[in-house]
Amino acid sequence: MKDFWRNFSRNRGAVVGLVVLVAVLILAVLAPVLYPGSPWDMAGMPFAPPGEEGMLLGTDSLGRDVAAGIAHGARVSLLVGAVSTVAALAIGVSLGAIAGYLGGLVDDLVMRFTEFFQTIPSFVLAILLVAIFTPSIASIVFAIAVVSWPPVARVVRAEFLSLRSREFVQASEVLGKSRLSIVVGDILPNALSPIVVLSSLMVASAILLESALSFLGLGDPNMMSWGFLIGSGRSVIRMAWWMSVFPGIAIFLTVLSLNLVGEGLSDALNPRLARNRGGKP
Amino acid sequence: MAFSRRGLLAAAAAAPLLMRVEDALAQGIQPKRGGTLNSIVNPEPPVLHVGVNNQAPTLIVGGKIFQGLLRYDAKLNPMPELARRWEVSADGLEYTFHLQENVKFHDGQPMTADDVIFSIMKFHMEVSPRARGVFARIKEGVAVNPTTAKFTLSAPFEPFLLMFDVTVSAIVPKHLFDGQDYRQAPAVSRPVGTGPFKFVEWQRGNFIRLERFADYWKPGQPYLDAIIYRVVPDSQSRRLALESGQVQLTQSNDIEPFDVPQMRARPNLEVKTEGWEYFGPLMWMEFNHRVKPLDDVRVRRALTMAVNRDFIAQRLWFGIGKPATGPFHSATRFYDGTAKSAAFNVEESKKLLDAAGLKPNGQGVRFTIKHMSLPYGEVFTRLGEYLRQSFRQVGVDLQLESVDVGTWAQRTGAWDFDTTINYLYQYGDPTLGVERSYVSTNIKKILFSNVAGYSNPKVDELFTQGRDSADPKVRQAAFSDVQKLLVEEAPLLWLLEMSFPSIYDKKLQNVITSGSGIHACFDDVFLA
Amino acid sequence: MELSKLPGYLLGRLVKAAIVILAIVVCNFFLIHAAPGDPASIIAGQSGAADARFLEQLRAQFGLDQPLYVQLWIYLKGVLTLDLGFSHRQQVAVASLLWDRLPATLLLTGAAFVFALSVGVAMGALAALRVGTWGDSIITVLALTFYATPLFWVGLMLVLLFSVTLEWLPSFGMASVGVELHGFAVVLDVAKHLLLPALTLGLFYVAVYARLSRATMLEVADQDFVKTARAKGVPEGRILRRHILRNALLPIITFAGIQAGQLIGGSILVETVFAWPGIGRLAFEALLARDYQVLMGVFFCTSVMVVLFNLITDLLYAVVDPRVEVSA
Repeated sequence: MKDFWRNFSRNRGAVVGLVVLVAVLILAVLAPVLYPGSPWDMAGMPFAPPGEEGMLLGTDSLGRDVAAGIAHGARVSLLVGAVSTVAALAIGVSLGAIAGYLGGLVDDLVMRFTEFFQTIPSFVLAILLVAIFTPSIASIVFAIAVVSWPPVARVVRAEFLSLRSREFVQASEVLGKSRLSIVVGDILPNALSPIVVLSSLMVASAILLESALSFLGLGDPNMMSWGFLIGSGRSVIRMAWWMSVFPGIAIFLTVLSLNLVGEGLSDALNPRLARNRGGKP
Repeated sequence: MAFSRRGLLAAAAAAPLLMRVEDALAQGIQPKRGGTLNSIVNPEPPVLHVGVNNQAPTLIVGGKIFQGLLRYDAKLNPMPELARRWEVSADGLEYTFHLQENVKFHDGQPMTADDVIFSIMKFHMEVSPRARGVFARIKEGVAVNPTTAKFTLSAPFEPFLLMFDVTVSAIVPKHLFDGQDYRQAPAVSRPVGTGPFKFVEWQRGNFIRLERFADYWKPGQPYLDAIIYRVVPDSQSRRLALESGQVQLTQSNDIEPFDVPQMRARPNLEVKTEGWEYFGPLMWMEFNHRVKPLDDVRVRRALTMAVNRDFIAQRLWFGIGKPATGPFHSATRFYDGTAKSAAFNVEESKKLLDAAGLKPNGQGVRFTIKHMSLPYGEVFTRLGEYLRQSFRQVGVDLQLESVDVGTWAQRTGAWDFDTTINYLYQYGDPTLGVERSYVSTNIKKILFSNVAGYSNPKVDELFTQGRDSADPKVRQAAFSDVQKLLVEEAPLLWLLEMSFPSIYDKKLQNVITSGSGIHACFDDVFLA
Repeated sequence: MELSKLPGYLLGRLVKAAIVILAIVVCNFFLIHAAPGDPASIIAGQSGAADARFLEQLRAQFGLDQPLYVQLWIYLKGVLTLDLGFSHRQQVAVASLLWDRLPATLLLTGAAFVFALSVGVAMGALAALRVGTWGDSIITVLALTFYATPLFWVGLMLVLLFSVTLEWLPSFGMASVGVELHGFAVVLDVAKHLLLPALTLGLFYVAVYARLSRATMLEVADQDFVKTARAKGVPEGRILRRHILRNALLPIITFAGIQAGQLIGGSILVETVFAWPGIGRLAFEALLARDYQVLMGVFFCTSVMVVLFNLITDLLYAVVDPRVEVSA
């Protein structure tokens, strides 16, 4: 653990990323305290520029406080990112593990299945799923999970494929351990680092995906998310730049910090490489 | 407002053919030949044949290719188009149209009374549900001679003369449709009409090109060489195209309401919201009367009081359109300004909800209902959000559902909603466009019927009276009564008399000259 | 690899590809039909008036009154003969609609792909060579910035800068309409229209390829055969070209093959912002209008393209890397 932190903190970008990420998390947790009431309430004049009317980041077309929207939106954007990533990992890791460990026909079938999902352009599939199940937080999370798991499956399969022929796995097999305990107990921990690194990137791309869906009008209408804020501010961008600029910055910072943290994790979990690379994606 | 039969005849006789051009001359602007008008069409229409498809983009583009017998001014008085003049018999049963001479279709064939009879009696009867509803009342249609068409009704129908705009009953070439499946005929994808512009090219997803029809029946017209409608799906791109001069005209929903104030401020652009009187679009919140407590008139009245319609007109639609006062659009005939729906009053609204026995719970919520937003663009999303916050103030929790056009159309038609937004054209007359939303005989599982499920025998009776009488006075009395009754009953929450901005380069002349505005054939439009 | 095995390998891959495509077609069919709303009710809805007869007429015309399995069978039969059906909404055969739109999308995604791959790999290689220096940091930060910024946002910013403020480039469309252009002027005109959308679509993938190529190059550089070569005294330039770059290209090619399909999805956003008349926008419009035939056509088309890309990637892989076994 100590080594982990030492290696992690050696990457300065990762530390900065972690600080930003923690700040965003705090903002999300404290949103109801900082901005009590609904972020949808009309709090002032429509289109008040930042700093006026006591609004730090200005108001939108209905006079709603952009800052309140960003604070409350942090909860939703992070939630969408985290939950959909967990769901995608669950699908991707299990399928990848099965394919990589068992190999042969099973591997072939699972990989065809994965290929099948990768063949449909993921964004089109996400749009289709959200539209069919009508836009809501649940359908958005579901859609993002469904389109995000194939890379996980591929990475996990590749790891398992190379790990299963290693001596320590063969040793376990000779010892008569059950397949499940070999997969979960021996191989998975060794395959964990790319999964951890990948998942931080997946949270980031889930946040981006949600904002893109909202941009096309497929967001949850009852949830204040950053994607919604940009979507609603985009059309008045030349009248009220602050409406889309600030949520855009929020997304940018969060996605960036998640990427930086991902790099730090990669360094910390793979110290041999980290020394040579001085930090990598 | 109400047009008498004698007034009609007088108008028909007096209307000079080149009035609009003379208007321009009076302003010292000489019509100029030449030039290409670049405009926008959005969304891209599925086909360009008016009648086969009646969506706004089809009507706007198709309105240049086709023409009707009549057009209408802002007060809904008929004006000549393909009919030079017309007569109505004293008993209100016979309508005789005398056609313009030398009218040709784009394929060179002459247009005769046969084409008129075919268009009305067969073509539109088959393809257009709206025309079918009225033209079914025609007992007989005959071509008296090549330039005279006569229709005999089975019973007097006072709004009959409103049915001859290009957007309802365009005259189509009989020789290209007769004996075929009208929807599948080749002329549907390559439309042939009598209008000043002929269809030349359509690159899907890109542009539609119309060119000047040299054999157009008005000598020397049209003035423009060509009109190009470009397909631009993004509203900001459309605005940029207008600002940068890449297009000289936008219409309908092309420019979002929040962009209009800045367009008004530009010295080279003209913004007009006139030209929708013939359609009279009225927007409302649809209540599903099968969902409790929306069946309670007190609840519907309370919700009406919870909404500030001025805010909607000013803040959401930026002054394009007016707050609705009741079930009739103020441009619709027989509108009665004295019948007004309950005014905005939060305290009264709460009292009424208390009286209905709906007390707030611990979170201050009296009841929860769902609201399916109308998926027609951003402004309607904002409207849903505004309504949610308004209802929240009186303790009603409105849960928004966002759906796409397909789902909205399906669920609204299937009565599968609590509340939603809808807007309907009133087509100038309550019998043509208002009745359908309120009478119990029209409670059907079809869009644009009485999907709310409102039923009141008195209302049914009054609408029937207004429909069947040939006397405008009797009709006025019936429709005044029905308006007064409806505002008390609040079967729907009327929000806005809609209008749509036509924005164009000031060099462009004669753009909006009638009650159907941008749908006109543009034979007198020119670039100064 | 032995060239004699190639035709068998190719055949095996083609059969697999065909099965995948068929499965996609069937799944798409059911997925799309699971969505509420049918084309008839939408057309009726948007016409502003409807009666039961009108709806019946439309449904019969669209074949929607047939049982679902009959509709599927008709569609499948059509696909096998490359007849993708008829869009009753647009009164045009789906295949011709796609054919009209496909070149625009291929041009856009192709330009974005070439831009992203060349700039991305160059940036990644540069960063890898200068690892740990400020040059590396700048490239890394730049790549991260592209990566973390929403696509449509980049598009809008570029429009604001280059079309509104500077007035250098057109903001929408694929070509100027209403002007007669010939020869080179046409190419130039399209290129001007293409620049902003291709840049927007490409930037995200520049980041992806830059990060990927930097990582793989460093990984390869760390491997034993490179160390051996270096110990043998092989010149650095030769090591870079022969050993590092060649091996680092493999994962990049694989990834690019997969990404090629995703680019088409990304082009929906870009095509919407820039009014680019391609199939990405066609798909979104068809979805909103529930134009089943068109939607299925677009999915079919993209599936075929992605399967083809994957096939090409696999073959390239086999050719470039002698260590990869060819097995059907």
